[in-house]
Amino acid sequence: MKGTHLGEFQEIVMLSILILDEKAYGVTIQEDLETRMNRKTSRGALQTALTRLEEKGFITSAYGEPTAERGGRRKRYYQVSNKGLETLKEAKELRQDMWKLIPKLA
Amino acid sequence: MKHHEVPSFPHRLFRWFCKERMFEELEGDLEEKFLKNKENFGLRKARRTYNAEVLKMIRPTILKRSSSGPVYGVALLGNYSTVAFRTLSKNKLFSAINILGLAMSMAIGLLAIAFATEMYSYDTFHEKGDRIYRVTSLRKNINEAPNQYASASLVTAQRLHDFGGFEKIVPMFKGFYGDIRANDKIFQFQGLFVGSDFFDVFTFPLGYGNAASALSEPFSAVITEDFALKTFSKKDVVGETLVKNDITYTITGVARTPPKTSHIQFDILASIATLKSIPEYEYLDKWGTMWSTFTYVLMPENFDMDLVMKNLIQLESEENAKVDLFEISLGLESLGSIFPGDGKYNQLRTVMPVENVNRIIILALIVLFSACFNYTNLSLARSLKRAREVGIRKVVGASRFQLFGQFIFEAVLISLISLAVGYALFLVIKPEFLELDRYISRTTSLSLTPQIGLLFFGLAIAVGVLAGFLPSLIMTRFKPSSILKGIHKMRVGKGVGVREIMTGLQFAFSMGFAILVILSYKQYNFAMNFDLGFETSNILNVELHENDPDILKAAFEGIPEVQSASYSSFIASTGTTNSDDARLLGATDSINAYNLSIDPTYLETMGHELVAGSNFTSASSEEQIIVNEKFVTDFQLGSTSDAIGTRVHFYKKNRTIVGVVKNFHYGTIRNELDPFVFLAGKTNKPYFVNLKIQSSDMVRTMEKLDEAWSTVDQEHEFKAAFYTEQIAMAYSQLSSTLKTFGLLGIVAISISILGLLGMAVYTTESRIKELTIRKVLGATFSSMALLLSKNFIKIFIVASAVAIPMSYYLFKQTIVNTMEYAIEIGFWELASGSFLIILIALVTISSQTFKAAKTNPATNLRNE
Repeated sequence: MKGTHLGEFQEIVMLSILILDEKAYGVTIQEDLETRMNRKTSRGALQTALTRLEEKGFITSAYGEPTAERGGRRKRYYQVSNKGLETLKEAKELRQDMWKLIPKLA
Repeated sequence: MKHHEVPSFPHRLFRWFCKERMFEELEGDLEEKFLKNKENFGLRKARRTYNAEVLKMIRPTILKRSSSGPVYGVALLGNYSTVAFRTLSKNKLFSAINILGLAMSMAIGLLAIAFATEMYSYDTFHEKGDRIYRVTSLRKNINEAPNQYASASLVTAQRLHDFGGFEKIVPMFKGFYGDIRANDKIFQFQGLFVGSDFFDVFTFPLGYGNAASALSEPFSAVITEDFALKTFSKKDVVGETLVKNDITYTITGVARTPPKTSHIQFDILASIATLKSIPEYEYLDKWGTMWSTFTYVLMPENFDMDLVMKNLIQLESEENAKVDLFEISLGLESLGSIFPGDGKYNQLRTVMPVENVNRIIILALIVLFSACFNYTNLSLARSLKRAREVGIRKVVGASRFQLFGQFIFEAVLISLISLAVGYALFLVIKPEFLELDRYISRTTSLSLTPQIGLLFFGLAIAVGVLAGFLPSLIMTRFKPSSILKGIHKMRVGKGVGVREIMTGLQFAFSMGFAILVILSYKQYNFAMNFDLGFETSNILNVELHENDPDILKAAFEGIPEVQSASYSSFIASTGTTNSDDARLLGATDSINAYNLSIDPTYLETMGHELVAGSNFTSASSEEQIIVNEKFVTDFQLGSTSDAIGTRVHFYKKNRTIVGVVKNFHYGTIRNELDPFVFLAGKTNKPYFVNLKIQSSDMVRTMEKLDEAWSTVDQEHEFKAAFYTEQIAMAYSQLSSTLKTFGLLGIVAISISILGLLGMAVYTTESRIKELTIRKVLGATFSSMALLLSKNFIKIFIVASAVAIPMSYYLFKQTIVNTMEYAIEIGFWELASGSFLIILIALVTISSQTFKAAKTNPATNLRNE
């Protein structure tokens, strides 16, 4: 189970975390995914992906300061680890290589 | 410390199932998202999204693991389900009986849940809902019992301003409906005249226009988005005009269409300031005119109820002092208690009485319990079969708690399977239920929301736990030592006879329902065949709309199948009545008399019998009246012919009696006979044309009538109904009672018979050897049947003894007491229901005995 395989949704989640940079936590990632992919994502589904990614060591997380808008509850910020970045790059290269090999693409 | 608007049950649920280390993060995220959604899409949508999000959190990553370690718990659950499925498939008959019974009752339970949730969600969307109140009127006419009305005069609303202490006062008048011209077309609409603060008090957001000023000027109107789309095919219609009765209203705002769960419904709202400019509405400005006007108030925060009530008493005593003949005392009811309501008259629109909601909940609970009893009963009876399993498990080291969990799990599993079947049944009976009576058809939609889905699921779990509780408790109490010594020495459920009580209750309910069905059916038949004293067969009543009755009559009379045609102000004997005080000229005492305005041919069309005097001279002879015999006796006018020529003050004028008709029932069987007066012609506006039809081809005749109609009126559709159908409509409450009891009766009887079948199968199975030996020794079939049904017969007799008086009392209270004419309830009306059930039950038991008696004794005795 805990191999280094990267699912499509997980890949997009990692990319989103990278884009959001410092501001990547549950709500922002969810909204980013929704606007970018133009489809409804539940927080529950996102949580599964985040947990898996963390288990594989692709992302790390840390609590932020408590904020009033959330009734004093802390946000958990996510960051992509070096290992995660490597895997992302590998995935990208693999795809690019494959794209290049398609003969009939004008 | 969740935000107070976050739905609390889902929130609690989430806290319960979420892993602790994830909870803070996820709860915070959900709440942040909720607040954002509330900002963008409104509270309702935000709450819905929140509920859905919580449901979607139910996944392995997020769910808490049980404390006994992840693997252990899951494995145990797996084992439970394996065992449960094995037990289920091993006893197919019993599983089927349980599932079928539970599913039937579950369908009723689901219905009750969906219904009650919808009823209690009415008017919950108003942001200031907790501070909105309605002023009600208790009106007492001299010599009459007082009545509670939801309405209050416009004077009340006006005078409240003098007292202060109210943040906002919104008067309303519901006399705004019918045809309206918009965009050069005619549309039917429902509307209200409302005070300018309407949008300040109620939450009906405006898409276009200014909420604060939209309804402050006369002749301004706000229409709903739906109605705007219907009339102008666009939403932004501010500045357009609407014309009703030559009065032009300018649209100043477009409101979101009121949700279905609002007791205030409208297509158009017009400013109440308009009324002041129209002389026709002057009559509303009286303390006594409180029939179709309403007063809603918005209270300030932390207001003093005692002070408000003192002000109301002050107001009413000042106003009552100015009038005689009646008194009105004012009251306040909160928005929350309007719907479902306590049965006040003159509601804004149909309000579900709270006792109807409660009745449905209680009936559903009865059926649900009945089905739970089946499960409990059968499991208890068969518990010894599983004693060995319990013994072994205990010896191997299972704790009592774990075993309990296992048995409850089985019950819940059965209940969940039943939920699936029950849901299908629910979908089948839903349309029937929505047609049940006029309250339901006008206020209920039974649309499913995630919240209701959760409740359904909760119901299934609760039913499972409830049904499985007692057997689980008893089965887990078995001691391994006594089990291993030998099962035959053990006894289960000794003493009180829990099983007997449960079976008895089940049958008492079944019999009760059966008796009620029979009684309601008889009463309904009685009402339908009641001799009204005039002819109603072959009479077709046609709605006039705004047409001239004489022109329409002439058009219909040209058709050969129409034997006679007349018109009347309403249809008698269908529940509508109209009355006024009648007084002999020169006398002071007045008597309340009912009346109907008719044209001279009416008496002939309906076959009324004139016992003295003559018919009206013409439709325009409005100074003439025709009275019934009761009128003559109540006024002590002597013989019916003496009464002719008597001068009576009635309906604002002096009139002369020209004829006397035989007594007839102008009301329903709920009313007794009172003095009655026929008024001539158009004294009251005619609303119906009555046609006596003689036709062998009704379809063709209707076509001809429709054609004749369209020569007079092209705008409205031809709407006609047979008199007998209209009478049936008047008794729709009886027929809906009949349907309710009928459906519940079928469910309750099926459940108890299923349970009985299960018990009979079990008893016969466990006594098969005994029965076979008896047979070999020469026992007859009847003696064996008696042996097996002896215990049940005792239960049936006790059940009948409980059910008969209970259902008799219930029928008397709810139906007979509201009727002036009702059926005689004799021995057979009551006992036949019980006998029927006992008969079915005995047949069920005998069928099992028969099976045992038929088998070759050798087959049963071969092994041992």
